[in-house]
Amino acid sequence: MTHPGATVLIVEDEPEIRRFLRSALGAEGFKVVESATARRGAIDATTHKPDMAIIDLGLPDYDGIDVIRQIRAWSPMPIIVLSARTQESSKIRAFETGADDYITKPFGIGELLARIRVALRRALHATPTQHTITLGEADIDIESRAAMRAGKAVHLTPTEFRIVACLAKHLGMVVTHKQLLTEVWGPQHASDTHYLRIYLKQIRDKLEVDPVQPRHFITETGIGYRLVESQRATPGTVGT
Amino acid sequence: MGLLRYSLHMKGAHLWIGYASATGLAATSTLIGKLMAPRFDIVNIAMVYLLSLVVVALCFSRGAAILSAVLSVAMFDFLFVPPQGTFTINDVQYLLTFAIMLAVALIISSLMETRRRHDRQRAALELQADTERVRSTLLASISHDLRTPLAVMTGASSSLVESGDKMSRIERNALASSIYGQAREMSEQVSKILQMTRLETGGITVDFDWASIAEIVGSVLARLSERLARHRVVVLIPKDLPLVRIDATLIEQALANLMENAARHTPPGTLVQVRAQCMGHEMVVTVEDFGPGIPACDLDGLFSKFQHGASERSGVGLGLAICRAILQLHKGRVWADKLPDGGIAFRFALPLTDAPLLPATEAC
Repeated sequence: MTHPGATVLIVEDEPEIRRFLRSALGAEGFKVVESATARRGAIDATTHKPDMAIIDLGLPDYDGIDVIRQIRAWSPMPIIVLSARTQESSKIRAFETGADDYITKPFGIGELLARIRVALRRALHATPTQHTITLGEADIDIESRAAMRAGKAVHLTPTEFRIVACLAKHLGMVVTHKQLLTEVWGPQHASDTHYLRIYLKQIRDKLEVDPVQPRHFITETGIGYRLVESQRATPGTVGT
Repeated sequence: MGLLRYSLHMKGAHLWIGYASATGLAATSTLIGKLMAPRFDIVNIAMVYLLSLVVVALCFSRGAAILSAVLSVAMFDFLFVPPQGTFTINDVQYLLTFAIMLAVALIISSLMETRRRHDRQRAALELQADTERVRSTLLASISHDLRTPLAVMTGASSSLVESGDKMSRIERNALASSIYGQAREMSEQVSKILQMTRLETGGITVDFDWASIAEIVGSVLARLSERLARHRVVVLIPKDLPLVRIDATLIEQALANLMENAARHTPPGTLVQVRAQCMGHEMVVTVEDFGPGIPACDLDGLFSKFQHGASERSGVGLGLAICRAILQLHKGRVWADKLPDGGIAFRFALPLTDAPLLPATEAC
């Protein structure tokens, strides 16, 4: 799926990186707005009303995290972080501030374009009325709390369902361990990561074709989990 | 300061032996002096004390030498210098004897101090030279492994700039693809070098938490899907495998290095098998490949830094050294076994701890 004419804001101080992003995104039909500083980026985000933003963390004036915070104060637009920082702590901070995705430098443009498309698709379809998700041969109706796999009903326990629903709410995005634990079990369990290990295994056993090589409930090691939706080759009717 | 540091440096036992010997030798000299006293001149008795002092100064610390000097002077004065039985001195020339004794103790002990310091410095220099050697091996290895991709990238990109117009689209694409491939290769190597440096300098904080090995295997397979695309990968993990308390990111890195290693050293189409099982108090994770293997004598050296397998064409030989460093941080171990039919099994073992408290079970 392409997004003709979608405007992408790039907040990045390195001109050489902006240059190839401009060429590559331009070639794919995106409109590009460039900002070289965090201050400029925050302003351009409000004046140009882009469809999404790509933000570097190491900016000359202040941290890219602050740009994310400022944008999140008024907009749900997809934000992809582009950073040379590889530590998990840095990624967790970006996700918890509201970033949708995180790509470490160096990166291939193919990877970035794929993530941009996922983010834009999510933004386009993430309407409050979307209550069903398709995970390969499984369908889940969030509202009626029903799960089907290959036409047969699958029983999810209430906790399993809360986890699926929490991940589905942020479909395609990384939900950190802390966010997931807080939302499902409450803040007093925010560091009981082993709950997630156990429940995600159960969920994968029920919903994934190959639980060891999951295609939907993706592990982001040291950070959290991500639910990736997929369309079937031959779309069937969804839900019950 | 130097003295203080040296004293602190010395083993406590050695220090006490020094003081005890100083006291003992002073007492022995006194005994000898008492035996000599009727027949020998008092100056010769002083010589006996001087001799014991020299021995102490040569063998022990400056403190022991000073103690020896003080004891010798005190005993000599009290027992032999008239009036005996007091510390009073009648003849001023004995003051000179005392001064000389003290001076000899200080001179000899400071000479010995200097010599010991030189020895320590020489040892430190040798250690430094050793580190230097390792570093230069690393540098040689890095510069070889990084220069090759850099040469390709510089050559291919300059060809595109200078004569891209005269090339066919296919040629241009091939050059650009090779730049991309080499850049990725190089990026991986640089990450490994950085990782090894962080592991060695203690720049990594190990974040222990409960993790599932099955999940980590899945994550590694997803990460290396491209690299493993031409191999058949089989995962054998029991359903009831317990959780382990590890730094999942680091263990994922270790496993990824082993898998990548298997992919790199075995021909396409061969099997790569990943297993995990509990054995006693450990969880053992195994990556088996069915490639040409390596001579048995190389197995132990594999995990030292910069060791390259015989068939290795590229790659800073750091992957396995990183594995070893990561497993050391986990109080685990990593090793390699030759498989009977030619392949090689890389294994690592993680200590198993008591299972964590589970969430309250819910009604289904």
